[in-house]
Amino acid sequence: MNESTLFLITFILYILATVFYFAFLFSKKENPAKTGFKFAFAGLLVHTLALIWRTVESGHAPFTNMYESLSFLAWASILAYIVIEWKFKIRKAGPYFMLIVIALMALASSPLMPKEATPLVPALQSYWLWLHVSVTLLGEAFFAFAFITSILYLVADAKEKRGEKTGLSAEKLDSVSYRCIAIGFPLFTLGGIVFGMVWAYNAWGSWWSWDPKETWSLITWFVFALYLHTRIVMGWKGRRSAYIAIIGFLAALFTYFGVNYLLTGLHSYA
Amino acid sequence: MKSLFKSLSSVKLAIVLLIIITAASGLGTLIPQLRSHDEYFARYGQWANLFQRLQLTKLYQSWWFIALLLLFALNIIVCTLDRLSPKLKRSFRPRVSVEEKEIAVLKIKEKLKKHMNLDSARELVKRELSTKHYRVRETQEENKSFLYARKRVLGWFGADIVHLGILIIIAGGIISGIGGFRWNLTFSEGRILEIPRADFKLKLDKFETEYYPNGSVKDWKSTLTVLEDEKPVLTKIVEVNHPLSYKGYVFYQSSYGWDWTSPSVEIWAKKRQNPSFLKKMELKIRERVPLEGEDIEVSMLEFIPDFVIGDQGQITTRSLEPNNPAAFIEGWQGEEKIFSGWIFAKFPDFDRIHSEKETDLTFELKDFKASQVSVIQLSKDPGVNFIWAGCIFLMLGLLFAFYWPTREIRMVMEGIGNKTEIIAGGIASKSKDAFQSEFAKITESIRRSK
Ligand code: HEM
Repeated sequence: MNESTLFLITFILYILATVFYFAFLFSKKENPAKTGFKFAFAGLLVHTLALIWRTVESGHAPFTNMYESLSFLAWASILAYIVIEWKFKIRKAGPYFMLIVIALMALASSPLMPKEATPLVPALQSYWLWLHVSVTLLGEAFFAFAFITSILYLVADAKEKRGEKTGLSAEKLDSVSYRCIAIGFPLFTLGGIVFGMVWAYNAWGSWWSWDPKETWSLITWFVFALYLHTRIVMGWKGRRSAYIAIIGFLAALFTYFGVNYLLTGLHSYA
Repeated sequence: MKSLFKSLSSVKLAIVLLIIITAASGLGTLIPQLRSHDEYFARYGQWANLFQRLQLTKLYQSWWFIALLLLFALNIIVCTLDRLSPKLKRSFRPRVSVEEKEIAVLKIKEKLKKHMNLDSARELVKRELSTKHYRVRETQEENKSFLYARKRVLGWFGADIVHLGILIIIAGGIISGIGGFRWNLTFSEGRILEIPRADFKLKLDKFETEYYPNGSVKDWKSTLTVLEDEKPVLTKIVEVNHPLSYKGYVFYQSSYGWDWTSPSVEIWAKKRQNPSFLKKMELKIRERVPLEGEDIEVSMLEFIPDFVIGDQGQITTRSLEPNNPAAFIEGWQGEEKIFSGWIFAKFPDFDRIHSEKETDLTFELKDFKASQVSVIQLSKDPGVNFIWAGCIFLMLGLLFAFYWPTREIRMVMEGIGNKTEIIAGGIASKSKDAFQSEFAKITESIRRSK
């Protein structure tokens, strides 16, 4: 038994969960969904073990290179999913969200991602690294769910306008998107903006230096602030809200991937 | 004036500004910032001039970007203040008596009838509301009683606290920008440096670099002592992520390097015709060292850590890392120079020695040592405490805005003989479902209680 075996078992459990979820979606029976949820939960447990294993083995936080951070993001997504399912009961969005998790796991296992744990450069040896990355990625997991429900909203809304029946009502999807963002926004603010500034101040002596990753986190934050204000103050709902939530998640995605590969700066250690 | 105030308080302006600031921030990550004109010219050709004139190459420090941020801050101030006074009034001096039809339009409402007189019914209702932590106010009119119950009033101010936090952060940024500065101090062990604009000095007692088994840097540790009037007052080991703070100055371990101006170099002298001949010698800059058993003195004029020949044929160093160390040496016989040239540590078979006189000697650059220097970054950032205070407001405000929603319940109670009719309605600023079930519980237990 080692970390990569645990990772593989996790991946298989998530795939099984996804298969059962889709079986539920197409068969419209309740049982496969319950089985799917159990597989996802079992996957989360094994995944947790894998992350602990990795932490003990490498002696540092399990998100210091791209493989680790993808795996952690998948873990955070499942955690977010379980919270969302428990609070908002929106099972029919589950299968689509699982596709994101599967994509993250697949990307993490791709041969392009170096798997070996490398020693940490001095700047990363900080407890703030733990807080900064884990809280930010958890916030992003909620944004990811809002992304899925926003896309489903656009589909459901179009169907409802044509008078067709939808599995999930557009109204429910819109409200769940908002409530996911209401969880994701404070988490992202705390992890991505506040803890990021504290760490930067400790490591480099400046709490803000407009490095591309910082700037893109700020852009992501602004987009979701835009979402909140258009919704709360101007009463936007539905389609326009959904588009902003989608753009916000794409900005988060770019902050996460794009900046590392396309732009350069202090953060491009991964 | 009035219309200016109106536009400054409008959320539409906020949205336009958010979009512009977001787009500008994004643009600043596409154009590399704060590089030299030549680099921009190489990248963008003729456009470079335009970009520089529009300050796109120092976008985040440009006057127009800062002006946008200030306008944004002003927008937050005006907008928040504009909405604050009605909110304050509503929370400190709420209207208690309402028309029944005002309750009738609410989404969450209920009608109840109790078989008891108005006074007992009032007591019962107040008891139920206060067990759910509502604060109750009431007024009375003949046979009618009006109740206004509320909890978690801070929820209304969540957004204002968030905005206040953002303003404090922006203010901190301005203070840091005006009053802050940074400086790099390059120390070798034992050196004492004066701190610019301060009345104390700093000494580097010791500097160590720790390595991982694979050779990459694990940590740099500088033992620093603060000296006041030449007397030590504080000693601390500074590492990356563990700075030293003293009198508003913070000292960070920033980097390290070598003092290449006075290296010590080991050179091996060999003879082509005589493979068993090997003499080792230690050279320092401009010190003539006799080669044992030969009538020759060798000296080193220059040492370069990362030898490269520049565009114009000049010899320079590419970096301060010892990637391609080279030494320029000379050989002397009395006052007569017999050879001179470069030898390279990485290329022992390749030298550029010009001999004035026939010799059989070859030289190899075997080893080199230089004392390590620690680069300590000093920063004075008078705005930083504002930043942390602003962050605390920001987070508290978010919690209040999203997770401490204000809940209000209004009731009109009318006593008709020994019966009381109750009309109740409620509003929650967020989490309406949770409020609805709480409201149902309250009305249910009012209905049941005797
Ligand atoms: C990046 C900057 C900003 C952030 C992060 C921010 C954040 C927030 C948050 C979290 C809320 C509460 C939303 C909710 O209850 O769901 C809010 C509400 C609000 N914001 Fe902002 N805000 C920002 C800038 C502005 C600006 C510039 C204005 C000025 C026009 C503004 C006007 C408002 C108003 C009017 C509300 C509703 C207030 C209320 O319901 O009491 N915000 N803001």
